[in-house]
Amino acid sequence: MSIELRGVTKQFGEFAAVVNINLDVPTGALIALLGPSGCGKTTLLRIIAGLETPDQGQVLFDGQDATRWLIRDRKVGFVFQHYALFRHMTVFENVAFGLKVRPRRERPTSAELRKKVRSLLELVQLSWASDRYPAQLSGGQRQRVALARALAVDPAVLLLDEPFGALDSQVRHELRRWLRRLHDELHFTSVFVTHDQQEAIEVADAIVVLNRGRIEQSGIPGEIYDLPVSSFVHRFLGQVNELPVQRRQGRAYLGPLDISVNAATASDGRESIALIRPHEIEIGPETAGWSATVVAVRVIGPIVRLLLCAEGQPVNEPLEAEIGRERYEAERFATGQQVGLRFRRWKVYPLDAVDSTPADAAT
Amino acid sequence: MPSRVIAASYDMSAGLVTQQPSSSRRRRPRLGRLLLIALALAFLGVFLALPLLAVFLQALAMGVGAYLSAISDPMAWAAIKLTLQVAATAVPLNLVFGLAAAWAIAKFNFWGKSALITLIDLPFAVSPVIAGLTFILMFGAHGWFGGYLRAHHIRVVFAVPGIVIATIFVTFPFIARELIPIMQAQGKDDEETALSLGASGWQTFCRVTLPNIRWGLLYGVLLCNARAMGEFGAVSVVSGHVRGLTNTLPLHVEILYNEYNFVGAFAVASLLALLALLTLAGKSFLEWRQPELRHAARGPRDRTRRERT
Amino acid sequence: MMDTRATPIELEFHKPRPVLPGFKMTLGYTMAYLSLLVLIPLSAVFIRSLGLGWDHFWEIVTDPRVVASLRLSFGASLIAASINALFGLLVAWVLVRYTFPFRRLIDAIVDLPFALPTAVAGIALTSLYAPNGWLGAALRPLGIKVAYTPLGIVVALTFIGLPFVVRTLQPVLEDLDREVEQAAATLGASAAQAFVRVVLPALWPAMLTGFALAFARAVGEYGSVIFIAGNMPMKSEIAPLLIVTKLEQYDYAGATAIAVVMLVLSFALMLGINALQNWTLSRHGAR
Repeated sequence: MSIELRGVTKQFGEFAAVVNINLDVPTGALIALLGPSGCGKTTLLRIIAGLETPDQGQVLFDGQDATRWLIRDRKVGFVFQHYALFRHMTVFENVAFGLKVRPRRERPTSAELRKKVRSLLELVQLSWASDRYPAQLSGGQRQRVALARALAVDPAVLLLDEPFGALDSQVRHELRRWLRRLHDELHFTSVFVTHDQQEAIEVADAIVVLNRGRIEQSGIPGEIYDLPVSSFVHRFLGQVNELPVQRRQGRAYLGPLDISVNAATASDGRESIALIRPHEIEIGPETAGWSATVVAVRVIGPIVRLLLCAEGQPVNEPLEAEIGRERYEAERFATGQQVGLRFRRWKVYPLDAVDSTPADAAT
Repeated sequence: MPSRVIAASYDMSAGLVTQQPSSSRRRRPRLGRLLLIALALAFLGVFLALPLLAVFLQALAMGVGAYLSAISDPMAWAAIKLTLQVAATAVPLNLVFGLAAAWAIAKFNFWGKSALITLIDLPFAVSPVIAGLTFILMFGAHGWFGGYLRAHHIRVVFAVPGIVIATIFVTFPFIARELIPIMQAQGKDDEETALSLGASGWQTFCRVTLPNIRWGLLYGVLLCNARAMGEFGAVSVVSGHVRGLTNTLPLHVEILYNEYNFVGAFAVASLLALLALLTLAGKSFLEWRQPELRHAARGPRDRTRRERT
Repeated sequence: MMDTRATPIELEFHKPRPVLPGFKMTLGYTMAYLSLLVLIPLSAVFIRSLGLGWDHFWEIVTDPRVVASLRLSFGASLIAASINALFGLLVAWVLVRYTFPFRRLIDAIVDLPFALPTAVAGIALTSLYAPNGWLGAALRPLGIKVAYTPLGIVVALTFIGLPFVVRTLQPVLEDLDREVEQAAATLGASAAQAFVRVVLPALWPAMLTGFALAFARAVGEYGSVIFIAGNMPMKSEIAPLLIVTKLEQYDYAGATAIAVVMLVLSFALMLGINALQNWTLSRHGAR
């Protein structure tokens, strides 16, 4: 089932949670709603589920206007952040719940019900826990029960609210991979909410980045990471270094490096900053670029992070660069070493708008 | 953790076709809500509001003049005085007990603590008539101490001391039960800090503990007082019903009522009802001041809420 | 708490001294107060009845009038507590989940039976339900007599027990996780289904507690009942009244025997309800 949001707006008192959202989720897609807390992503998810009603706008399921439909008529599976399992029921009874409350005509026989619940528990690899109570399970196991319970009613859409937020990082990692595989095998339409950009990039077909109730950008993960349309998106997905752009004699500079690639920048009088990702910094011998001192070296598994203090930059705001382990083993950068910096890629944004679209970019 | 997802015989695409439900469904929940509210209010209206109203309306049935003369009747005054006397004796005694018991229970660990707490809750489980009976069995003419008391010309039952003792029995849990959870929740940190700074036990108690528990204390005193002034069953058994001497206000209400002096009975009752309303008002105020007081159990220990010792 | 700085040897030979002062004094005072006020008087009842000898005790207790009064007291209390369980749930639900004008005021009034002296309640209820009272007159054409009948007793006991269920349920309702109800809705449950299958099981332990408290209070109730009951032996005479009657006749033996039976029965019932509560709580798995 496809989901379409047209002009959806929702306010809580004075606070505008979501403003004029237009979104298209095609059937079978796995979409991530990504953003910082308070950006409206959970509100949006709940509007799709029917747990909130928009003040303006429409929610369409397969082209039909479902904006005013009751929760239980929407046939959406919802997985809550804290699972919301029924404490007084066993795992089996939790998963069977959606089937048991169906109107008499649609209710499966107890044999059919048992078969379905068992196959679902097998799907989530929790057959052994069938008679346990939620209190006896770990967080990751409870999350899988919540998932099985939501899947039991054959929802057309699966909605997940920060499903892995309350779990340990190792469990989170495994569940992410597992959810992706489940989706690939069963092809349901799925929307999940997260504030973790790593999670969004790893799991989703497409990411919708939200900020202060509006969509900043939507697209496939690679596109959003490499081609952000605003400084907010650029900053939110991945690490960035920020450098003020200096204008001298009609040209733009970062330190000693000339970055004015087109005439428009040169004549633009506004103050701007450049955002550069750690792996977009090229480190070479001291003469090869902007002089900088290595302040710290941190080896983190496969990558090495170098903190660099470039000449002319304040000491307490070092640049962060990332290089591969092999390169580090070869060059053996050490604290105090002088190096030369160049930038492979950067994006310039005007400084007056806090979260703004870029003035120009470099390839 | 699963390394492979088993799709089994599961087919997600066989979902149900979504149907457009009728819009009238939206309106029904609101009607149901109104119905429930109306039902609840009707129940409360019949069982609570009407009786309260009846007291005042019956008291004023013969006009304000009759009401005032009923209240200023010397027998009524004697009853008021005795009630105040009893409360003024019982409440402070129970206050001391409540503080002592709460201190022992909240600040220390010892064997038999929960048995002690159960004991404190005991008067709630005992009928007031039985309470009165026990004191008759102890201090009555044929009671254990009967001979001793008679020899020394001390009258306990059928006299004021008996009334005081019976009232104390019925009302002593109130203050303790309010203070114990509060003091338990506050822990020992403040007191231990005071001691480490050189304060004596008494200083710690007066300057640190008391201010911390003052709202709970007031609350307990309020409830204790309301019950002390309104107690009927236990006092009825031990008092002897001697008008002017051993009649408390509630007993006086009974006597007037049995004499078919309805206006008089309700007039005196209205004083007690006013006291009840004042108690409720005071309660609400204190609950507003300290919201934790709202949910102290109203009877023997509430076992659905696990205690944190 | 244990003094953790003590060496192991010290721990073996000395009981840890509490840090705060006043333990002996306060505990001593508490125990003395309780003994004088509770333990000794209550034991007087049991010891006195022991002195009766079993045959005499049994004879008193199985007297038809006594049995009738006990059956009435416990029976009416059971009915009243059940009514309070049902309507108490309704009132608690309405007070917690909905907003309407004067909600705070109504919430405060719920404690009225708690604050109002029982004698006042007694005469007020009687005047309401007497044949010429506001409600009594309204019910008379329907053939329902309340005052001076066992029905009146149930009404009075319902009044007395009203706050118990409401106040026990309110905090539980307030703490209820709304997401669980929302989950039930997303799974297709109607409001009624969600209430019965999800909410009610969570409320059940608190309802039992409230019921037990209301029941215990009702069994021993005297002041609010004796005005509205007919007080006719064998028909509308409650057990506490019978005790008082026997006392007035100086039949201490009889009074004591009935008191013992009431205490034992109440105690047994409380134990039963407690066991039921523990069983319900354990069914939910580790809490």
